[in-house]
Amino acid sequence: MSSTSPEAQHLVRLSGVTKTVHVGLRRRPVTILHGVDLAVGHGDVFGLIGPNGAGKTTTVKVLLGLMAPSGGTVALRVDGLGAVGYLPENPYFYDYLSGREFLSFCARLFGLGAGERKARADSLLRDVGLEAAADVHLRKYSKGMLQRIGIAQALINDPQLVLLDEPMTGLDPIGRIEVKRIIQRLHDQGRTVLFNSHILTDVEELCTRIAVMKGGRIVWSGTVAEALADSPEGLEVFFMRAVGAEPGAGFGDGRPAVVGEMPS
Amino acid sequence: MNQVVAIALNTFRETIRDRVLTVIVLFALVMIVAGLWLGSISLEQQGRMMKDFGLVAVTGFGVIVAAFIAATLVRKEVEKRTVFVLFSKPVSRAAFVGGKFLGLAATLAAVIGGMGLFLFVLTLLVGGGASGMVLVATALIYLQVLTVVAVVVFFSTVTSAILASMLGLGVFVAGQLSHNVLSLSRVGAGALTEAVSWVVFVVIPNFNAVDVKAAAVGEMTVDWGSVALWAGYLVAYMGVALAAASFVMRRKEF
Repeated sequence: MSSTSPEAQHLVRLSGVTKTVHVGLRRRPVTILHGVDLAVGHGDVFGLIGPNGAGKTTTVKVLLGLMAPSGGTVALRVDGLGAVGYLPENPYFYDYLSGREFLSFCARLFGLGAGERKARADSLLRDVGLEAAADVHLRKYSKGMLQRIGIAQALINDPQLVLLDEPMTGLDPIGRIEVKRIIQRLHDQGRTVLFNSHILTDVEELCTRIAVMKGGRIVWSGTVAEALADSPEGLEVFFMRAVGAEPGAGFGDGRPAVVGEMPS
Repeated sequence: MNQVVAIALNTFRETIRDRVLTVIVLFALVMIVAGLWLGSISLEQQGRMMKDFGLVAVTGFGVIVAAFIAATLVRKEVEKRTVFVLFSKPVSRAAFVGGKFLGLAATLAAVIGGMGLFLFVLTLLVGGGASGMVLVATALIYLQVLTVVAVVVFFSTVTSAILASMLGLGVFVAGQLSHNVLSLSRVGAGALTEAVSWVVFVVIPNFNAVDVKAAAVGEMTVDWGSVALWAGYLVAYMGVALAAASFVMRRKEF
């Protein structure tokens, strides 16, 4: 995969984004994001990786406007939310709708006409391998099937930017292969994909660029090739070092484990 | 507008396919039929008893459906995080609230309309003196129930589903009595008490003013001008409650 994302072609840019929420009866402030800087280039498949609680999902929510940033700026160079597709983490959809009805409902939210709704739904059901279950109610879907219908709804509007929060979670090996093919196809079509994942082999296989988050900060950002040059043992070892999971471990060239390099 | 229609249709599907609703409606129909038995043991009052009992059943079950289903409509979307799917698309919070309300309004139209029609046909079949007033009374019950839905939708944006249901039921009961507050305040009360009573009278929807059940069973005549005025007030009340719900939703983060 290519790995260039020049400044002018950034589709997503977060600059110094902070997010503080207030919890409990005393409204105790808790800062989730501490000045996140992130740039995703047009056509990139961008992997946002980090341990649980690093702030990956919050970053995506801020991007989508589901949460307002407490500080910093968010720039999405797309034609509003109409050009964005989103798969939430551990998605739950409407139990009483069939897969086809659900996709048609989502298409209607984008203002698609009846014919287009049906065509898009049929095409996506085929793409995610759910043709046979198209008219089955979602309450009868397995977790993997829900994940796939979730990906289908994220693509119903033919988006320029696709945000996938843990898209491989709950999928069996065949499901994972299908989802990886979908992401690869989106990349081939020139779409921009940003996804969170804990499955680093998938990140290594699919992504052009990655960013590592820890404690609400981006601690490393660059291309997969750069990461692998730092850690020829593989992305898992690189990740462990980047988040400081190996006490005392550095990059082998004198740099500390967490370099704090900001995206270009 | 497309989004409102989409959400309304989806809500209609959601509620009409809910098995709890089916059980409630079946139980309500049984209660209406039970009015036949009550009528049979009352001397020469069969038609009146049937209509009276039937309309009370339509009101009671309509309000129960409104209070409990409306409360879960918004909360469930938030708790089960389907709002992530909706609000990551070009759907405004106002469209969400409006769509949810209209969807349940359509379901209640089917449920309450069906029950009212069933009662009308039943009185026709058993010779209970069927009159169009049964249908008019049902329509005004529908208006009251819709007001409860709007109130519950608002409460469900700021509190839990169960508390929203209870508050909705509380507003319904208070709305049956609000005209008494004003009457009582005029009996030897001070100016302050009367002013407070007026505030209560305006804030709590006056359901009694659009209740024509007694007219449907031939016990009173109706001042239609007054009913129309109060019906307009209830429509405005719904608008305010839904606008408040949209305002709260706009400020929410998910």
